[in-house]
Formats: sequence, structure tokens, C-alpha cells
Amino acid sequence: MASSCSQALRHHVCKSSRILRVHLQKAWPNRSFVLNPAADQQPAVSSPEEIVIPKKKTWSKEAVLQALASTVNRDPTASDYRFQDDPYLTPKTSSEFKLFSLSQESGRNAAKYFISTYPKYFQKDYAQPHIPCLMPETLEAQLEEVSEAALIERIQMRKVKAAVDLYDQLQQAGTPVSLDVTNQLLDLICFYGDCDPAQENVPEQRNEETVGQENKLSHNKRSPCLVFSFRENNNAERVFALLSEPNTHSYSALIRGMVKYGAYSKAFSTYTDLLNNQLKADVSTFNALITAAPEVKEKYNEKWELIVDLLKQMAEQKVKPNLLTLNAVLKALRRCGTVGKSQAFPVISEMRALSIDPSLASYNHLLSIFYKPGHKGQTDILQEVMNEVSGKSFTPQDPDDAQFFITAVRICLDTKDIEQAYRVHELLGVGENWRLLGNDFQQNIYHARFFSLLCMMENIDVVLKWYRDLVPSVYYPSSNVMRDLLQALDTDNRLDLIPQIWKDLKQLGHGNRQTLVEELLTLMAREKQNQEVQETFAECALDIKKMYDTGDRGKVMMSWTAGSLSDLVSVLLAAQRRQDAWEILKLFKTHNRVPSEELLDKFLTCIKESGDVNQALELVQISAGFCLPGTPKLIQRVQQEFLLSEQQK
Amino acid sequence: MATSLVRQTKLLSIVTSQLSSAACFRNIHCTAACLKNRAARIRVAKGDKPVTYEQAYHPHHIGHRKGWLSQHTSNLQGEDGAAERVVEDVFIRRFMYGTFHGCLADEIVIKRRGNLLVICAVMIQKLLPSKFYFLIGYTEELLSHFYKCPVKIEMQTVEEKVVYKYL
Repeated sequence: MASSCSQALRHHVCKSSRILRVHLQKAWPNRSFVLNPAADQQPAVSSPEEIVIPKKKTWSKEAVLQALASTVNRDPTASDYRFQDDPYLTPKTSSEFKLFSLSQESGRNAAKYFISTYPKYFQKDYAQPHIPCLMPETLEAQLEEVSEAALIERIQMRKVKAAVDLYDQLQQAGTPVSLDVTNQLLDLICFYGDCDPAQENVPEQRNEETVGQENKLSHNKRSPCLVFSFRENNNAERVFALLSEPNTHSYSALIRGMVKYGAYSKAFSTYTDLLNNQLKADVSTFNALITAAPEVKEKYNEKWELIVDLLKQMAEQKVKPNLLTLNAVLKALRRCGTVGKSQAFPVISEMRALSIDPSLASYNHLLSIFYKPGHKGQTDILQEVMNEVSGKSFTPQDPDDAQFFITAVRICLDTKDIEQAYRVHELLGVGENWRLLGNDFQQNIYHARFFSLLCMMENIDVVLKWYRDLVPSVYYPSSNVMRDLLQALDTDNRLDLIPQIWKDLKQLGHGNRQTLVEELLTLMAREKQNQEVQETFAECALDIKKMYDTGDRGKVMMSWTAGSLSDLVSVLLAAQRRQDAWEILKLFKTHNRVPSEELLDKFLTCIKESGDVNQALELVQISAGFCLPGTPKLIQRVQQEFLLSEQQK
Repeated sequence: MATSLVRQTKLLSIVTSQLSSAACFRNIHCTAACLKNRAARIRVAKGDKPVTYEQAYHPHHIGHRKGWLSQHTSNLQGEDGAAERVVEDVFIRRFMYGTFHGCLADEIVIKRRGNLLVICAVMIQKLLPSKFYFLIGYTEELLSHFYKCPVKIEMQTVEEKVVYKYL
């Protein structure tokens, strides 16, 4: 019954239109499967393939969270995650950014001070499992007696001076100190350069402020002894001399300390001592010596020969090179001029053969070898490097990894290569690479260069898209970059966006930079725009005038120049704001600036349109007051174009 | 000395017997009085006292016109630790009141999500933002170390205290 019914239905359905069929199917949803009874169905072709049951996937506990996180991109309207989400508390300029993050950090340090000074109130442990970083730290050494255990404790707490004093006491008391402990002491002294590392709080703040100068002395960043030089009778050598049988570790510590703090020739002499004592050096010693090699020789060839010599000795002593060796060689090759260019690639291929993969630092050194600043070379190295590197996620393996992005974008800026810049920026988005962009200062440099390149090369829509994406959530542009943006607007003839850019400039704190503001005024005054745009320009110009007048405490005062005043007047005249323009004209006298003749001519034309005779006469008087050579012409024009009464003549 | 002691015990027994006699039914009051009909209510006065939304509505409006100021799961069936949470909350409220003295616009809301303690506060824009950030960093660090769990502050600022009505 059901099947015959459905057969009849099917005839009906086939004859009628498709809409009716759909309607029927919709109306009887519970019978839809009856419409295709088994009898009508084609017999299924049995496939000879086997059914492959896939292996069961095991998901980690955070898989769902990671999948959700991948759907969320960066919010371009929000500020950095460190700050509170409130308009009063978001930083609007780069100085505010630094100030707020530093003040938050100093609040944390104040709390840490209280916690370490009164640890007894923080001992109760609620956390299961135990969280060690939330317990108070012990900053004072516990063991007081003169013993080896006390020495080990002081070494672990990184108290250099106390450890050395205790060691001396132990020596005087005659207790033998084991070789391991002495080696640890040597490591400590050589790493910290014979002076105590300051408390945790201070270096962080110093890093923020002085990182610009310290960038060059990158290996001395954490040490407050920036100009430490290995003095004659310093503790490291003294402790070393007291060792009866120094082993590889002791020599290694001493040589690395010497290289870190600039005593290069001493390092090499210590190395010869090591060879004379028939000891083998280890990898880190060789790395340090390779780093020191360019400092001890003058000519490029000699430097390269010394490095090759060291590498040969390394092979003789059967010491396997590692990634840091590769990076040290490449860094030394930067100082070797043309030899560097010829030898860089062979070095990399040899290291590859030893299964050492280059890290971002190696690529950074490679780029620096081939693209010296100021040189105009024709190389495709950047493209090849980007081909190698795209799509890979890197982990930090070398301190110089953080320089890669800045160097790459500098090269793109110098060679004006926008595609490679996009590839570099894309690389930042891959995996964990964002960690390798460096601290706030380096991020600022990277974004400044990237944005300047965009302003130079791309058309205005793309530039504005990036502008809205990056500013101000990630990057606070400096006044130079904003000037580049203005030039880009000018090139693409989008001067109507100037009032918006002025608002952004004020918010970024660049509203009182004289050159920038004058350029803005010149751009507005140059050509005549259509009416609405002119109106917005006039509003903007009046706003700019306010910036000149109000002088808050601490803000840099700008001074009027003849050019800026005339630009302001022209903008106002073009928008038919005669009253405002008249007041500005009076400002010429108060600020001792001389208006130009074209300006007064333009003004006269404007006055003629309104037909105010008195104002015309005042204008003539003003120009006479400035003793302008064009005054007689003005007088002639006024006499011709206006109907004057006898008195006024 | 023994006689004075005996005298004292006799006195005490007389007093207790008098108290428990049928004539007077007043007993010694041993606990503090909880005035449930006076807690968290601001009484209507002349009409010049500004009062926020939180203060204007009385405790029986919680759940109807007000939300909860402290959110945790220890009041659910089978969960423990309610008393400890209350003590923590009291300490945190006093701590915030003292640290951000004069800046609080309204009561603090404390939310617990897993291990995390979120303190949500509305502040008056009385201090410079850098000073606010100093105090935020200090509070977060100190309370994290004190309670051995991550503490976060979510702050919002208003220009002045938001008045709901005048009582």
C-alpha cells in the first residue's frame, strides 16, 4: 500500500513542477524516505576496496583551547595585554607606554621587597601542587661557617664578592677546596666579571633605559660593569693560579671570561698554556677563541687564517662543533670584508654536512656580511634566505637571533623591496617567531622601518590599511614616520585625510613639533580643494593655531614663522573665513613677522568680494606699516577696484 | 584564701540559682548580636546623602536587583572552603580599600575562576595612570605571594562616584 501510494506520488511529482515537488517533500518530511523505496534504488556496487579504519588520534588536554585560540586574531583596537582596558589607563604615546609598563614593574619590585624582607608572613602554603615561584626568596646566605658547603651556597646565590672572600678564608685556614667547587667559583667570577650582579630590580630598569647604548655591547648587557677590563691582579687569575692542577673546565672558564671582557690577547696566551699542558679544550673554549680572533689580527686574510687554524685544531682534538661555533665563525666573518663574502657559503655547507642547521642568528650574520650599510650591491641573498626560512618556526638558540628581523627589514628598506618585507612580516606570524622580535625598543625599530617602507612603496589604501592595523595598538610612530605618511598622502593626492591625521598626531603627542606642523600647514595651503574639504581644512587650521597659543607647563612651545602664518591665512581665506583670517593677519605684527605680497594680494581679492572698503584701507595701512615694496601697487588696486569717498582718498 | 574561694563559689551558685528561677527568664547572653534587619542598609535621611546603586538596594534585593559581590563555588553542594573564602574576601576588600585609598568608587567584586583570583574594581580618576599602575603591580604581586595563586586586577575608571539617588 505504501509503495503503490508512493508510486502514484512519484508520477505526480515527475509531471508537476520542481517547486511542487519540493513543496511536497517539505510538507511530508516524515515520509520523505518512503519516496525512495528500496525497490527503486539502484543496487549498490560493491567496491572491492577495503575499508581502512584510521588510527585513533590522541588529543592533548589543551587541544580544544588551542583550536579556539587559533580562531582569534590580534585585536587592532586594543592596547598591549599588560595594560588595563580603560580609556584613562591606556597609553596613547610611546613615552606613556614606557612609563606605564615601568611603573607597573616598579610596583612589582616594591612588593618583592616587602615579601623578601618579611618572609615569615608568606610561608603558609595553600597551593596544591606546590608553586615554588610564589614562595618568598631567601636572599641572605644561611650557612655562616667557613666551609665548602657555605661556598657552594654563595655561588648558587650569585654573590661573587662573598664567595671570593670565603674562598680566601678557606685557603688561609688550610682546608682544601675540591676542583669542582673551584671550577664553579671560576665560572661565577668569569661570568659576572668580578663584580656582584646588582639586585634583580635594578638591571631590568637599567635595561629599559639604556638598552640603546648597550645594544652595541650586547654581551655585556646584564653586567653593570660595562667598562670592566681584566685588571692585572684580578680574582679570576688569582684563583686560577692557586689551582694546583687546572683541568679543561678551569681553562675554559678563564678563557671565556677573558674574551667576554675584552682581554683577547690574554685569552690566546692562556690557550697556548692549555696546549702546553697537553690538555684538550672544549667546544665553548673554541667558540670564545673564534669570537676573539678578529680582534687580535689586523688584516682580513690573517683573521681568516687564524679562524681556519682554530677549526683545524678543533678537528685534531676531536671536538665536535655546534651551532654556536657556526654563529661565531659567521660573526667573525662580518669583520673580514671580502674574504667573508667568499667564505660564508662554504662554511654553512660544511656545517650542514655535520648536521648543524643554521639558526636565525646565522642568517642574520649572513645578511650583514652581504649587505653592508651604505654599499650599493646587487645581491639576491635576501630572497634566498627568505626562501630558506619561510614557514619555519624557530626557537631561540643564540642571543643574536633577535637581530634577524631588524636586519632583514633594514635591508628591505635600503633596497626598497616590498615583497621581501611582506615575507619577513609573514614569518613573524609563524609559530613562536614573535618571541624573536626582541624587546620594546627593537620592536619599535622594526615597525618604524616596515611602516616607512610601506609609505614609500605602496599606494595609499594599502598604507592606510596597515596604519589602522598597527597604530596605535602595536606601534606608536615617531614624527619622522608620520612625515613619511604625509608624503604618501601627498603623492596619492589624498590630502582630504589630513584633518584625521592631525587628530592622530595630537593624540600621539606630536602636536607640538614645529617642522611637522609647518609641513601640515603647507600641504593644506598649497592647492585649492573643493568646498567641504576646505571647510575641514579651516577647522583643522584653527585647531593648529590653538596648539601654538596654549603653552602647558613642560610642553615645547612653538614659534610662528612667516611661512606658517601665511599658510594659515591662505587656508582660512580659501574657506571664506575672513574674520578669522583678519585676526591672524594682526598676529603678524605681534610676532614680528612680515607677510608676503601674494598674501596681501589674495586678501585684497577676498575683501573685494565682500566689498568692505574700510577693511581694504586697513589692509593698505598694514602693508605700509611693514614698508613692503608692493604697497603702491596695492594702493593702485584699491583705488581702481573700490569706490572711495573723498575722505578715504 | 581557701575561705574566700569558698565564699565566691557560694555567691556564684546563689546568682545562677536566682537567674534560673521561675521569677526571671533572662539568661546570660554569650554570642554577639547579629542585627539582620540593620546590616547593609542605609536609612533614609534628610535627602542630601549621595548613595550608589549598590548601597541603595538592601540585601534582600540580591539576586533580584543586585548581583553578587563575591563569586566562588564553595557554597555548592559537596564543596568546602566557604569560610576560608569569606575570610580571604574580607582581607582583600580591606587591602584594596587601604591601598587605593579614596579612589574606590564602589564595592569590589571578587571572582574566582579555577586557581585564578580576579579582583574587579571601579576607581575614581583621582591618581595619575602611572600611579595606578604602580599600585596594580604591587597589589597583584603581593596578593599572589600571599594566597599562592595568580591574582589579577581588572580596573575601570570613572570621573566621579556614580550617584544613584540621594537619601
